[in-house]
This record gives sequence, C-alpha cells and structure tokens, in this order.
Amino acid sequence: VSAERPVRTGSRRRHRNAEARLRRLLVMLPWLMEQGSVPVAEVARRFDLTEDEVAADLELVSLCGLPPFVDELIDVFIDEGTVFVGVPRLFTRALRLDAPEAFELLVAGRAAMQLPGADPEGPLGRGLAKLAAALGEVGDDGLAVDLERPGSADLLVAAAAATARVELAHRSASTDELVDRVVVPRRVHVDRGRWYVDAHDERSGQLRTFRLDRIEEVRAVPPEGGDPGVDLAGLGTTAVRAEGFTEPLPEPGRWFEDPGVERVTLRLAPAARWVVERYPVDEVTVEQGGAGEMLLARLPVVDDRWLGRLLVRLGPDAEVVEPVERRDAGRRAAAAVLARYRRS
Amino acid sequence: MVDRVERLTNLLALLLETTEPLSLVQIAGELEGQYPEGQVARRGAFERDKAALREIGVPIEGIIQAGGPYAGQTRYRIDRRAYELADLQLDDDERRALQVAVAAIRTGSDLGQEALWKVGAGIAEPEHPVAVAVPSLPVLPRLREAVATRAVVSFRYRGLDREVEPWALVLREGFWYLVGYDRARGARRTFRVDRLDEEAEVQVGSPSAFERPDDLDPATAIPSDPKLLGVGEPIEVVVLVDAARARRVEHEVGPERVTERRPDGSIVVTVPTANPVAFRSWVLGMLEHAEVLAPPSVREDVVAWLEAVAR
Repeated sequence: VSAERPVRTGSRRRHRNAEARLRRLLVMLPWLMEQGSVPVAEVARRFDLTEDEVAADLELVSLCGLPPFVDELIDVFIDEGTVFVGVPRLFTRALRLDAPEAFELLVAGRAAMQLPGADPEGPLGRGLAKLAAALGEVGDDGLAVDLERPGSADLLVAAAAATARVELAHRSASTDELVDRVVVPRRVHVDRGRWYVDAHDERSGQLRTFRLDRIEEVRAVPPEGGDPGVDLAGLGTTAVRAEGFTEPLPEPGRWFEDPGVERVTLRLAPAARWVVERYPVDEVTVEQGGAGEMLLARLPVVDDRWLGRLLVRLGPDAEVVEPVERRDAGRRAAAAVLARYRRS
Repeated sequence: MVDRVERLTNLLALLLETTEPLSLVQIAGELEGQYPEGQVARRGAFERDKAALREIGVPIEGIIQAGGPYAGQTRYRIDRRAYELADLQLDDDERRALQVAVAAIRTGSDLGQEALWKVGAGIAEPEHPVAVAVPSLPVLPRLREAVATRAVVSFRYRGLDREVEPWALVLREGFWYLVGYDRARGARRTFRVDRLDEEAEVQVGSPSAFERPDDLDPATAIPSDPKLLGVGEPIEVVVLVDAARARRVEHEVGPERVTERRPDGSIVVTVPTANPVAFRSWVLGMLEHAEVLAPPSVREDVVAWLEAVAR
C-alpha cells in the first residue's frame, strides 16, 4: 500500500528545525538498525521525508560520536540508493511514549475497536493490550470511547471498502420525503458524534453527504447476468462493483466549507452556546450587550427547514441577524407546529 | 560551528553513555569545539539544547552536588531505563492494525503518527473507508493518567473550584466527559472536559489516592440520553410521533416504549425525562411531526414556548 503513496520531492521542501529533525532520527535509527539495509526511497516514504532529507540527516548522524569511539556510535552509510547500518550501538530503541502520544494511540485504538469488523481477539485488540501493559496499566484504565455505531454503518463501510453500489432509503432533511437513491459509498465518517456517508450519488452524478440517522434502509444492489459482483466483507451480501471514483474526499468536519452553501449569522444567548459546539461554524465573535455576553455565529445553512427547527428549539435564546429574509424562519416553523397543537 | 542536530545528537549520546553525571564543563570538554568558548554563551547554548531535548521527551536529570569541592554544581545524565521505550513485542499485524486505527481516527494532531513511529509502525494510510473526527484537548492526557493512576484532580468548573476523584474519561456524542466523585459536593458528577475553566490550571495529585467503585462501567457511566441528565426523578411524557419519524424514534427509545401503533403509521411513545429543557429540544427537533399528549403541564410548557417564538 505504501508504495502508492507519492514520495515527497525536493521541490516541496519545508523548513525543519533541529528538534523536528532529531525527533524523526530517533524513530528512524532504531528501525533502520533492525532492518540492516533499506532503499532510501522506502525510508523516505515510511518517515514522510524526501530522499534528500533522509540522505542529509543520516549523513549528519554518521559524523556523530564520542571520544574514544568517534564515528562508531552510529554506523550508517548510504550506497547506491540504499541505507546500510553496521554494528548497532546507540539509539537501538525508540524514546518512550510521552503522555500525549500514548493518549492518542489509545484513543485511536479504542475508537477503532468500535468500527465495523473490529475484533477484540484480533490484531488491534492484542496490540492495544500490549500497549496498555507497556504503559504499566492493568485492568480497566477508565477510558471509554463510545461511538454509538448505527446498524446501517457496517454495510455502508463494506460497500465503501469495495466501492460497491447500494440503494438507500433516505429521508430528506428539507422535504421529509423518503427517497430511494442508488449510491456508491466512498467513505463513512463520524463528526461530533454523528455518522455520515460520503457517497457518489448516481442520480445527480455528484459526491453527496448523507446522515446515517436519516437512512432508514440500506440494500446492496445485486449483480446481474454474468457479473459475479463483490462480496461485502462477510455480510453475506454481494453487490455490483463500481469503479473510477477519484474525487477527493473532504476532511471530516470540513465538508461544509463549500462556499456555495448559504451563510446565516445568529446572535446566541449563553444558553444557546451549544450551537457553536454542535454545528460547523465559520466564525464566532463575542458581543457584550445589556443581557450579558452574546455570541455572534456565522454558520452554513443548507436549508430553511433546518434553520427553522434550530430556531424553534432555541426560542428566545437566538435570533437571526442576517440575512434579513431569514429572520422569519423561526416564527414560521413555530407557527406550523402550533397549528398542529391547536387542531387537536 | 557544528550543525545543531549533530550537537544535539552528540549531547544525547554522551548523556546516555555516561556512567557518572557530568557537569557542563565536562560536557563541553567531551564535545570539544561544539559549544562556544565563553562561559555565558556556553551556558546559554547548553540550556537551549537541554530544553530542546526535553521538548522531544528526553528525560534529562539534573543532579545537584550535595558536598565536596563541587557542592551546588549541577551535573547531568539520562537514565536509559526512563529514556527507552519498553519493548512492546508487537507483531506485524498488530502494528498494521494500530496504523489503520490512527489513519481512521482524526484528532487534528501529529501525535498519533509520532507514537506509531516509536512503536515501530509505519505511516498511517490516509485512504480508509472510515474516518472519525475526535476532539483533541490538551488536558486530556493528564486527565487520563489521573484516572488510570487514581490521582485526585482539582479544577474550576462553572465558577466553582472542584476536587474530584476521577473515575472515568468518556467520549460520547462527540464530547469528552469526566465522571467522578466531587468531594466538596459529596456526590458523583459528570463534567464536560471542554468546559473546564481554562484560566485555572488543572492540578493532578499523587497516585492511588482513592478507590474507584467496583461496579463502575465507564461505557455506561453517563446516561447517553440528555433527556435523563437531570437532577430530579424522571417523569414519563407521552408523545405522538408521525409515521415520517416513527422508525427513528422507535429505534432511539426502544420498542418497549411504544404504547400504541396507529393505522396511519404513527406511534405513541412514553419517554422518561428528568431534564425539561433537553426534552423540549428533543421533541421540537421533530417540528410538526411530534406532539406531546400528556402530562398536561409538559404540553402547556411546549405550547407556551411555541407561542413565544411565533409571536
């Protein structure tokens, strides 16, 4: 897999200070000593460096040493594009993990244990157990990651891994209609505790993002004729395979950055502060007013109904500052709900 | 002058290799010509190097001489056992699994990758069919250590100073929570970690300061339903939900809470709630697709709220 990763070239040079270079060397040297000899290109890929950077840093440490064994402590040289390591003496082991690094690795592992296909008895579970033991922790360390994975996630992830076609029964946020769509999932992502699937939508021909809690059903599109289809990772389902999707996927939490999406500015009272934590926002400014500290938040609004619902929930704690034509959104949504209560 | 990386590497090697702690004069002597001649410049350069090594996690010990002709002088060494990562004895498939995990879990920092390199794994492969954004807060590693070592933590939260026996650190619905026993309040409390007062520093006490309750399960330590995160006893609210929302609500509250299924596909559910604000937010999130039927007080509360917004 790593062979497909583009190798950085000298033209993309960035500044690396002494600490960053040493930090990388201290993880690179123990690995090199274990390998004995490795092509420079592979070292560069593995440690996210250019080949020139690898060569420069290794050349530098080959000069390092202490009397009386100068030049012997780090016995490393490059010949014909391959790194060779002689007698390993110093830096045979990496630095211990510091608390933030251990935390990141543990959280990533615990979270990944909740993704489809994870097995506590499998390699990830075993690796995490060894990590916990090395950190000197026995039994439950009190760290829990709860991703609350919805039932539809497994099939969608399997389809994304296989780029297979599936049919979604999706309830639209703006019209509330249940619509069947044929899509090719590219990736499932979780942001702020919510699950989404980024998928190529066959009807619009575009990459779309769907919330999993709006998907009422997922079905694999079965292959026809002589097409053997693709097995969806042990789910007992076979689907049609689709190919040729290269659109880049946005980073989770950033897909709302599309400038085509309308922006609305809200004035939020302290009780409505959760809005800026829960939803993506472009900008938040603090405003000192008579009623205390207010927040002015500019956020992307995909449709009027979503805005109306938010404003009904926030009530007196929020108001639309701009655009002017959206100021009525909350009032209209509240009137529609009230009408229901008055009917019964 | 020698390249800084070279000098740092030599300093690191020297302090790891030495059997006796070394003074700055001895260090400069061993690393001949690498530190400036002048005393002030030499001390300044050495202090910068020491800070750089500590910044990347190297545990440099400074030992002050207690007596003898060099009393008061600081000598330096690195304890190899404190420096080196214990051999985790990871198999290749375990390293790969950790690599895949770090690729899938995005915290916005490079620390996961740094950790992977240290344990001998390669680069986290970015193209993975799942990506999970997990919030990163600088205080989390310290809180986790406090939980794991059962050390009391002190912090400021909602304007009050707290002294808490931390039982669990939980990520739920995209937020980090600390669950523990609030000593001053004499009760179990749940704190949103991102709401800890940033101005007041979080203090961590010494380990093994308390016992965690035996029956605590971190995964269920906080109710997942905000409607139940209240102070009083939960009351039962009866809600009529339209067909368009029925499936989702039934999945959320559980089929045992469905008390009636109507021919048009709508359902009646009985929802326990201890938090009126969270309940109102939940029911209004469905707009005209849901209606509170009982008790009358809750129905009136919702109607009054709507009237205020519609005015």
